[in-house]
Amino acid sequence: MAGTLRRNARLGWAAALFTAVGLGVALAQVGPTTQIFDPKTHKWINYDRKKARQYYAAHGQVPDAFRRQIVPFRTAEKPGTIIIDGNQHFLYLVLPGLKAVRYGIGVGREGFGWAGIVRVGRTAEWPTWTPPAEMVARDPNAAKFAGGMPGGPDNPLGARALYLYQGDQDTIYRIHGTPEPWTIGLDVSSGCIRMNNDDIVDLHAQVQVGAKVVVLMQGAALYKGV
Amino acid sequence: MKALLQGVCVTAVLAGGILHAHSADLVVAMPSWPSGQASANIMKVALEDALKIRVDVQEMGTLIAFTGMDSGAVDVYPEVWRPNFDPLVQKYATDRGTIHLAPHNVAATQGLCVTKKAYDLGVRDVADLTDPAKAKLFDTDGDGKGEMWIGARGWLSTDVEQIRAKSYGYANTMTLLEMPEEVGMSGVDAAVATDRPIVFYCYSPHHVFQLHEIKRLTEPAFDPAKWNVVLQADDPMWLSKSSAPVAWKPSSFSVAYASSLASRLPQVAKFLDKVDFAPDEITAMSYAIEVDGKSPSDYAREWVAAHPDRVKGWMQ
Repeated sequence: MAGTLRRNARLGWAAALFTAVGLGVALAQVGPTTQIFDPKTHKWINYDRKKARQYYAAHGQVPDAFRRQIVPFRTAEKPGTIIIDGNQHFLYLVLPGLKAVRYGIGVGREGFGWAGIVRVGRTAEWPTWTPPAEMVARDPNAAKFAGGMPGGPDNPLGARALYLYQGDQDTIYRIHGTPEPWTIGLDVSSGCIRMNNDDIVDLHAQVQVGAKVVVLMQGAALYKGV
Repeated sequence: MKALLQGVCVTAVLAGGILHAHSADLVVAMPSWPSGQASANIMKVALEDALKIRVDVQEMGTLIAFTGMDSGAVDVYPEVWRPNFDPLVQKYATDRGTIHLAPHNVAATQGLCVTKKAYDLGVRDVADLTDPAKAKLFDTDGDGKGEMWIGARGWLSTDVEQIRAKSYGYANTMTLLEMPEEVGMSGVDAAVATDRPIVFYCYSPHHVFQLHEIKRLTEPAFDPAKWNVVLQADDPMWLSKSSAPVAWKPSSFSVAYASSLASRLPQVAKFLDKVDFAPDEITAMSYAIEVDGKSPSDYAREWVAAHPDRVKGWMQ
């Protein structure tokens, strides 16, 4: 019964999106797993890495819900504030007039998540990526770039990076681009927020250094406070 | 309410502010929440216009404001929440007599709220949260339990919400999350934007009731015999010793001022005794500052200009 309730709740939202854009896929989430609705089989299927790749290969872009769009967003947060809903894989940039730009995001794997209030401490174009020490220790691919990987199309930070600070301290978390745009909508990164390169360029152009960033706690029983 | 004893943390910052107190005729302590900011500034504008005195507004928490009014460094505090700060009222107003509470009370509420989506899915009473199927509606991390914001760490009300969750039994079906208010409220915004159900601690007057369609969960009425609350600050075993399976005691807030004002600035004391904001006005203040982005001082000037009869009545 609980599953039905939840599924129906998600379906209402997903179906609305599906109707609006006429695409062959709607989105939902059950717990931490993103699901998409297949209109051919009328079944919800896990939107995992493999499915995401297939969708991207077929359409050349991510499902509609994860594409950049202006949405109604009633909030008391000031225009220019970023609100990150990792559970739904959305990042909102608050606009005047109770609206927001909504972007699709990829978020951290279980155990890498976090929630709280930080700010954009600095930004960079085509940033250098330096893997954190624990990643170097556990991932041989990352270890190759222990001294830093120059910016460029293969760099995992993508076209732009917003460095998140708490006070004057770098939290080591970033909002960044990605050379793997099909991963938007998935839980794959190392605690960072990833966006496709067009979107992070768009966000970077609109965000001021010092902007408030609110990371929601939904899905955050797993998350650590920053 | 903001029931925040977090004011303790700003002692060092405030010391500087209080040093300047003597250069003003009156010091109004300003809470960190929007309606408190607005009403503190309305008092400043109205008193400066009518009495030609200099009023300083200084941000500080409730505890610091009370000790300031007790020592003479602070004169006025616009929102004393009760029952949250009853112990301070008992100590300074009743026992020491150094602080006076104005007679007008603004009715307030505290409890749990849901968005219309959750209400339509059948979550209407606090007891619904103990139903695992309904609690699972709010599950965002896949563990089968729902998640809910119960307030910010350090708020006195957050302790009480933990006690209530244990007492009602939904501590077993819901994960209780403590985060700053902006994180809790932004979560509500995002849930509404994507038509997802959400349940959260709420208090009014508050702008969230204007921003979204919000429903309060029903629950058994307050019963003093069942309200056995021990606070974390008072006992490490506070949670196990406490029980409160009932609604909060009906809440309210009022203006407080230093008792010495009655002789030092009697016109100000009379004015403060007559200030009578209505709950709707408090909500409007909160919305104007938080949502419309007006500065408290600008809002206060506009409010005073738009309500000359009210201000005149307070002066008589």
